[in-house]
Amino acid sequence: MVATVDTIVEDPARVEEFVKHVQSGGKVESGDWMPEEYRKQVLRFVEMHANSELMGVLPEREWINKAPTLKRKLALTAKVQDEVGHAELLYRVAEDLGKTREAMLQDLLDGKTKFHNVFHYPTYSWADVAIIAWLVDAAAIQSQKALLDSSYAPYARTMQKICWEESFHIKHGYDMVVTMMNGTQQQKDMIQEALNRWWVPLVHFHGPPTLAEKDRDLYYRIKAKPNFVLRQEFFSKYIPKILELGLTIPDPELRFDTEANEWRYSDPDWNELKLVVTGHGPKTEDRLNLRRMAYADTQWVRDVVLGRAA
Amino acid sequence: MIDATNTDTRALQTLLTALADDEFILGYRNSEWTGIAPMLEEDVAFSSMSQDEIGHARIMYQMLSELTGVSADRIAYARRPEEYLNCQLVEHRRLDWAHAIARYFLYDTADHVRVEALTRSQYAPLANAMQKIVREEKYHLMHGDIWIKRLAHFSPESRERLIAALESLWPDALGMFEPLPGEEALVASGVLEAPMSELQAEWLEQIAPYFEILDLPFPAKKDERTGRYVPTVEPVYGGRQGKHTAELAELWDEMTSVYRLDPEAVW
Amino acid sequence: MPVFEVFQQAREGKAFEHGGNVVAPDADMAILYAREFYGRRQEARRIWVVPRECIVEINDPDLLHPPAVDRSYRTVGGYSVRDTLRATRGAVAGSAQPD
Repeated sequence: MVATVDTIVEDPARVEEFVKHVQSGGKVESGDWMPEEYRKQVLRFVEMHANSELMGVLPEREWINKAPTLKRKLALTAKVQDEVGHAELLYRVAEDLGKTREAMLQDLLDGKTKFHNVFHYPTYSWADVAIIAWLVDAAAIQSQKALLDSSYAPYARTMQKICWEESFHIKHGYDMVVTMMNGTQQQKDMIQEALNRWWVPLVHFHGPPTLAEKDRDLYYRIKAKPNFVLRQEFFSKYIPKILELGLTIPDPELRFDTEANEWRYSDPDWNELKLVVTGHGPKTEDRLNLRRMAYADTQWVRDVVLGRAA
Repeated sequence: MIDATNTDTRALQTLLTALADDEFILGYRNSEWTGIAPMLEEDVAFSSMSQDEIGHARIMYQMLSELTGVSADRIAYARRPEEYLNCQLVEHRRLDWAHAIARYFLYDTADHVRVEALTRSQYAPLANAMQKIVREEKYHLMHGDIWIKRLAHFSPESRERLIAALESLWPDALGMFEPLPGEEALVASGVLEAPMSELQAEWLEQIAPYFEILDLPFPAKKDERTGRYVPTVEPVYGGRQGKHTAELAELWDEMTSVYRLDPEAVW
Repeated sequence: MPVFEVFQQAREGKAFEHGGNVVAPDADMAILYAREFYGRRQEARRIWVVPRECIVEINDPDLLHPPAVDRSYRTVGGYSVRDTLRATRGAVAGSAQPD
């Protein structure tokens, strides 16, 4: 079931038939013929997703050590474990499209490929852990639901597994936030302070408002919904929940426009998003460095597993 | 069967604390590989084993809670470093992969002897817990077995790293069987079926053939008179008395940092 | 490294379903990792781990969904007894003799 890579010159009729097939809900398996653009597009999409799951571990891992109760420690360990596991599943899907895991990890470490904005930011307190586990995961799940029916079937199936496995992540995050908002003043202040810092990255999360017509991922039905729809869905679901806890959202412009039936908000700095995802976030270098060092230090172990003599 | 009222509760508490702290601190160290293990697959595997360990620690902290009325979380987080009774083997900071595998192997095989013996403890809650725990260990032993063999056989370099790691860890591994304060009472009442020194001899007996097959140095000799294995290196004791290295203090500082913000808060 | 496909049986007696795959240098490690990725949440009673190269795929629609010949004779839906049954019942009722 090795992915076949076609020659550069593709029969336009065959490509058209393929596009019709995916646009009407048809599926593609790893061994099927596919236009080169499709293969590249899916690979890029899945690779970024895999990178994000992997880099998402780093903001949280130091807090496993500091988790203040046995249950929180276990839950956070399990959640982060799931994320590493998801990275593995996604790299597997991408690998079957023709790029080795080694090459993908190397490109990530060399700063050549991207990962989600939120994982470039620092975490300062246990409240960050709670906010991330609740709202960042919620934003991610919104995106993920739109991938359950992806035209690329191995990816769709992996997304189904991922969505099932992540069902406890949000609950666990929400439990942490609610507990702290019901706790001491110090805890409440910590959560509000964390939300103040995480709000703009959350607004950025679903990406800039790309024109649906220009979105190749939509064109090939790799994903089912455009960015701005996902953002609105996220807002509708979670803003009421945030406000009912007594938290303030740090955007004075934020309101629901009933006439237009959409949330209005301050336009976040899309340049900041661009800078961050191209590797200039506050913690980007630190985190990549940690992985680079660990990767280099453990090369000998991979050689043992792969059967490569030193 | 023994219940909490007619056994030497102090000695029992010491035993439970030592068992719990071993697992808790080892679980902490193993979770330090999260996000940076040599392969994603091992990242996930170490994380599972770490959760098992913390889960086992939790079971024992809960047993202690029933005996003392202090909550399990408080027992886990509110003590000072000198009140932890883990062996020093588990508190050493994360080094390289060979060190991690060697430590795991020594710990898991030794712990297996201990857990197995405790499935027959006359203290029912402990026996019941251990009967469940012994089954979860299968995965750990399987994992350790695969990796020790791979490192021992693959190349002179991997072998050398493994041997160096084992050599550095043997004295601490023997520290797992440091005699527990009050263990005579536990043996007399059947809470512990044999003193730690005997469990150690059993452990060395069990793993000796393994080291022979893998052609790895084994720092113990069979005593001709008793027929039991005796170590040829000095054990590192102290953990069971609350004596630890600076590494535990460092670990404790990080581990309890959020807890200490407000020990009365609910997290 | 070879790919191993993983099949899970969720509950005793149920069919094995394809869950995904793992990469590993040999069967021993494949088992370890299959358990991690497809069994650590206690979501399977049994797991099959199969080297991908052992799997042979049939995907030709001419073999699996041949279009020309009417094969409804092999399906439940290919039979409609309703009208005939109604007529038969009617005939039986009509010829029934009172005791």
